[in-house]
Amino acid sequence: MTVTREAIAVPDSTDPTISLLRELRRGRARQRAANAAYWIYLVVLIVALYGGARIGAAVHDLQHPPPPTAQTPRLLHAAPYGLAALALVLLLVLVRDALWRGPVTLPQPAVDWLLDTPVDRGRLLRPRFRLSAAVATLAGAAVGVVPAAALVGLGLGGHSAGHALRLTGAAVLSTALLFILGTGSAGLIERYPAGWRRLRRATPAVVALVVGLGGLAAWAALGRPPPVVADVVMWSGPWGWATQGMVALCGGSAPLWPLATALLGVAALAALAAADRAAAGVPGAALRVRAATIGAMSAAVLNMDTRGIALAYSGAAGSRRVRFRLRPPRRRELVLPWRDLLALARAPTRLLGAAALALLAVGLIAVAGQAGQLSLVPVAAALALGYLAAAWLCEGARLDAEDTRRSATLPFRFQSLAWWHAVVPCLILFAVAGVPVVALAAVSGDPRFIALLAVTAPVLVAGALVNVFRPRFMPDLFGGFETPVGNSAAIIVVFWLVLGPLAAVVPMAVLLSSALGVSHAGAVARAVLAGAVLAAALGAYAARRAASLGST
Amino acid sequence: MPDANPPPLLALTGVSRTYGERVALSPVDLAVTPGQCVAVMGANGSGKSTLLRIAAGRDMPTTGQVVYAGRGLTQDDLAVRTEIAVVGDMVSTYPDLTVREHLQLVAVAHGAGRGRDDLVDRALRECRLNDHATALPGSLSSGQRQALHLAAMLVRPRRVMVLDEPEQRLDPAARRWLADLLLGQKQAGAALLMATHHTELAAAVADHVIVLGDGEVIGRGTPEAALAVIP
Repeated sequence: MTVTREAIAVPDSTDPTISLLRELRRGRARQRAANAAYWIYLVVLIVALYGGARIGAAVHDLQHPPPPTAQTPRLLHAAPYGLAALALVLLLVLVRDALWRGPVTLPQPAVDWLLDTPVDRGRLLRPRFRLSAAVATLAGAAVGVVPAAALVGLGLGGHSAGHALRLTGAAVLSTALLFILGTGSAGLIERYPAGWRRLRRATPAVVALVVGLGGLAAWAALGRPPPVVADVVMWSGPWGWATQGMVALCGGSAPLWPLATALLGVAALAALAAADRAAAGVPGAALRVRAATIGAMSAAVLNMDTRGIALAYSGAAGSRRVRFRLRPPRRRELVLPWRDLLALARAPTRLLGAAALALLAVGLIAVAGQAGQLSLVPVAAALALGYLAAAWLCEGARLDAEDTRRSATLPFRFQSLAWWHAVVPCLILFAVAGVPVVALAAVSGDPRFIALLAVTAPVLVAGALVNVFRPRFMPDLFGGFETPVGNSAAIIVVFWLVLGPLAAVVPMAVLLSSALGVSHAGAVARAVLAGAVLAAALGAYAARRAASLGST
Repeated sequence: MPDANPPPLLALTGVSRTYGERVALSPVDLAVTPGQCVAVMGANGSGKSTLLRIAAGRDMPTTGQVVYAGRGLTQDDLAVRTEIAVVGDMVSTYPDLTVREHLQLVAVAHGAGRGRDDLVDRALRECRLNDHATALPGSLSSGQRQALHLAAMLVRPRRVMVLDEPEQRLDPAARRWLADLLLGQKQAGAALLMATHHTELAAAVADHVIVLGDGEVIGRGTPEAALAVIP
């Protein structure tokens, strides 16, 4: 079999190829089974360790459903909207799977060694789709237990174990069907690339719909929207059909719920059948990109590289067009702030998200202050939101930390970059949070808010930079060391992940709540001084971490 | 008697590719006939790989047409998978299959029957992988892995060979061997389309060279003439 000048007949090689591959890999099947068993063991162990008590409580609730409380009628009114919102979120996540992962995926070696051969692609791809669909069905059934347990725990599970079990059955069935529908739809979208762009465009509208349903749920819990609105939501599509069984078995009004569940089942099976037929035609280019993405994602997960996971996802889910330009500065000191500003301006979602979080944080403090409950919890919650905003704004620093070669040509030591990267996030936080804080100070005649903002923003940004410049994850951390209360590995890994937010939010929450909880100026001055010291210390620590990252 | 001017087996007419607003490749024409080698040269990011992906049916052009054996090429075309051997971007291997088993898999997928083992033995010999036939890919050097990818091309039937920087990861001696291998394929009647950074390889194997710069053709002609425009 060599070079030929004549047309080559397409061989019927599918069966021999698949048989050969199975035969060649049979010897290593035990090893692969052992690997799979290890992962299953790990997942079961983690679930049992961290969710064991919760699972035990849920099982107890199912056997002995707790009685309704005073809040139960409100929750029942909100259930159609809240459950529909959750179903819509699930459906969106499942369908968006088509943009980056699957559900039709091949392992990288199969892509590289079999995709460009005359082997029938249907025989390669359909089993992969069916496997995805089977996994999705099982996952859907498992996820379905969660809303059922929540409803039973909230007093909506009826008066007997049998009734609670029926509710659980309805939830499991609806969620499994929803997962099948989502997987089937994703399979069809993956097959037809024209659908990718439509899905990307539709996503913001679906998110707005979810927010709208959340608003309706809140309205239903606090007031009484017309009942027809709930009917419209529950018949508006698969997300509504999926809620009806649960709503009816919780005591709500959904008399035609068997019909709705049947409709959901028909839609799910139709999508599944259509996607199964379409699986053979998924473009090779899409399969290549997805295999590469899964490889990058798996490596990032094994390395606990959260940033790598996000990059693998965003890289596969679609790139943005660069439209915004900003003239480079003449002064060399402004190069990094210019680059950070440019990075943020070219990712307006990140900028807007950070602004929204910062405003939410200020709003939370203002509301808690109005209610006279400025205790540690609302302040810590507001600071956590503020920290998230600061972390989103540190994109430029994150780019430098990911690949230290990016800044190698700049006339700065890597250590000093951490300080320069703080400029833009601090200025944006001052600008965004400053307006409402100044307004708040003006209305209340209390200038403490301004002084405290001046010190809080740098602390949060410095904490975010501590996390940005964290050292590479070393698998040795999983080893930990033995202590009288057990192995330290979990605590060490958690600290590795969240040292920045912990070091910024916890002390700042104490300082702010103590300064805002009393009326004398000395407390504010103490908080400002301590905050300034904390910001400087965290900044110096971030710079030190940057230096060691730059030297590796 | 062979035709003195055989029709092109693979012809690209006005082929361009844009990604969003970025132009990766401005309109390019090229044709490869059996027994001919066209080399595409240019700096990194000049559009070589984009052009080869389109020629191999792995990507569709934004404008223009790709004609293979007298008919328009479609994405994932079965005839293309049967007749065009592509080398260059295979980056992975089955970690649990040996070198020989990888080649057996490709041979069988292309319809090799009883002669499968002879084919594999010959490819192993030609690519100097005899001593590594039972090795797992993880133990191979990067040059040996590249040789494995080239060997995979030899165990399958082919009318056209599309090679994206086949010299990568090969040492000078192996590059000379590669040039001899490709000359042999050309003489046997294969149509070769090859992207390369290596001027000596292009000069030794190519009949026609196209030089790309920023996605545009900035030079073309005989190797001597075209190589002169390379910055």
